[in-house]
Parts: sequence; structure tokens; C-alpha cells
Amino acid sequence: MTAAAIITGGAGALGQSIASRLGGDLEALLLVDVDQQTLAPVADSIGADHVAVDLASDQAPDILSAALDERGWIPRVLVNNAGVNRDARISRMSDEDFATVVRVDLLAPARLALALGPRMPDGGSIVNVASRAAFGNFGQANYVAAKAGLIGLTRSLAIQWAPRVRVNAIAPGLVDTPMTAGMPENVLSRLIDRVPAGRMAQPDEIAEAVAFLASRAASYVTGQVLVACGGRSIAP
Amino acid sequence: MTTPFVYEAPRGIGIAGLEAAVLDAFHQLRDAVANGRAAIVIVRDRDLLGHGDPADAALANGLLGLVRAFATEGLREHWVVNMLAIEEGAEDAARRGWVERLSDPQGVVGALVRVGPLHLGRVPV
Repeated sequence: MTAAAIITGGAGALGQSIASRLGGDLEALLLVDVDQQTLAPVADSIGADHVAVDLASDQAPDILSAALDERGWIPRVLVNNAGVNRDARISRMSDEDFATVVRVDLLAPARLALALGPRMPDGGSIVNVASRAAFGNFGQANYVAAKAGLIGLTRSLAIQWAPRVRVNAIAPGLVDTPMTAGMPENVLSRLIDRVPAGRMAQPDEIAEAVAFLASRAASYVTGQVLVACGGRSIAP
Repeated sequence: MTTPFVYEAPRGIGIAGLEAAVLDAFHQLRDAVANGRAAIVIVRDRDLLGHGDPADAALANGLLGLVRAFATEGLREHWVVNMLAIEEGAEDAARRGWVERLSDPQGVVGALVRVGPLHLGRVPV
């Protein structure tokens, strides 16, 4: 059987970087994202296979399990990277925006981990992409709750599946992606001012941290959160 | 001081019940602070640590995130939102005492109090 890494949110900037970085460590890569048209060229460019599926749907775990079976692949690494945000102040946040973020950022990775974790071989690894925002953020109650929940899920699955499969999380701060590039310049500048590193992370810097957690170099690390935020979470 | 609102995390909801549980907590906390009430969320410490069902762990930690989000956003409006992690079977007097302390408008905000020794020697949450 071919050992594969499954990376959700594979068409995004961070997903691409993670996939490119993991490509050297594993025999096969399966990129997952919702939009076939954006996903296919990204996958082709890094020599990965792909499946377009809405991870928020109940069927997504079965579809991805079947895709692995069709290819004769066994999941050795799962990176739950897909996520969305729908920011608003608490008083103005709609139920739909709240639920969408919880569904995509918490339920979808939970369902996928529960589907693929039991199929992983000894030494399997799951990396959940949480966020520094899980410790609290303004205007993101939905996102904060979902990412904090993902950290709780990480701990529980790490205990349940030890020693066979390791489960960890990474909590990035600001990352230089099209999403942050779309923020008003003055807002982004104020946020960067609070980062001791004095800048946003580049996607490949986060990918390195994900690759570490996914690899045998982290063979004694499970149930942990690696906070990769340029020091923002300890700043005054 | 108005009567504090106490939200106790449901258990055994399963992954399928997670979305509804988090959304329900969001509604109830928002209503409480909008009505000028302090809000205290109660969970089990073992769920914060992930010692049990994955959905219970996700909910307990998601609620902690929610408490911190409300605390962050409500600083100007002086919202009082805190979390108490306490085991089932703890004395009622202990629970009442902590709820009262955590509801004090002159007291803490966005705080987590972990009653019992389970957190010792383990990661902060």
C-alpha cells in the first residue's frame, strides 16, 4: 500500500505550501478542496492527486475514504487545514455565519479525523491547523470557538489513539495569504505592530512547522499545540 | 448585582450535536450579557484536558474559546464572562461560591478557574 498525505484546503496558499513541503516526505499526496477549477491546476503543479468535495457535507469522509481505496493508498498523514472565517461583532453575528464557521473549521476536521484515524498505520500523524485566535480575538467569536474546539478535539484523539497515531495542532498567527492581503492596510499594519517578529509568517514557514509535527522527527510529540505566531501570543 | 447566568455544558452530545450545542451557548451568552448579567460557563476539567469523548472535549474547549471571545469583545461594555471547570459531584457550596466570585462585576473577566487537582502537571489550556 502507498502511504499518502491528505491535505484539506489544498488549493489555498497555506495548503499549497504544506503539500509542497510534505511531497518530499511521502509517496503520495491527495489535495482536497471545494472548488475543482482552482484545485486541479494546483495539484497538477506539484504532482499531487486531488478530490474536490465540500468538507462541510456529511458525505465528505466517505468520499475521501473511497478515493483512497480506489488508488490503493493508506492515509499516513492527515492535515486538516481547510477553514473559513465570517467575522462580525457578537451583537451582529448571524446564526448562519456562526454555524458555517463551526461546521467547516470544527465539525469537518472532526469527522475526517474520526474517519481516517482508525485506518492509519502505526506512526500515522494528524495535524490540525488551529489558530492563535483560539486564545481569544475581537470580532471572531465563531472562529475562536471553532479553533479552540479543534484544540480540544486534538487532545482527546491524541489520548484515544496513542501510541499508534499522533494527533497535534498548530496555531498560526497572521500568515501572508490572499486573505490577509484583502484586509485594509491600516488594520493589517496595526495587527503586525503587535507581533514581536515584526511581520506576518510566510506560508512556507507554517508548512515547515506542520511538516515537523507530521514527521518522525516529532515521534514523541502528541496532543500538543505548536503556536507559530511570531510571538504575538506572549506580546504585551 | 443581577442574578448571574450559568451555562452548564451538555455532555454526550456526539460530533453530530456539536454545532447546535456551540450555537446554543453563543445565543444564551449573548442574551445574558445583553441583559446586563454576568455569565459563567461550567465544564468538566477532564473535558478541557481531552480525557474522554472527543465531542465533549471539543465542546468544552470551544466554550472556553467563546468565553475568551466574549471577554475580549465586551471589555468596553464591562461584560463579565468567565469559566468554571469543576468535576461532577463537587459540593454545591463550592460551585455556588465560585459562581458568585466569578460573577463579581469588579472581579475577573475571561478567566478560567479549575477546581480540583486534575490540572496539576498538565498543559495549561
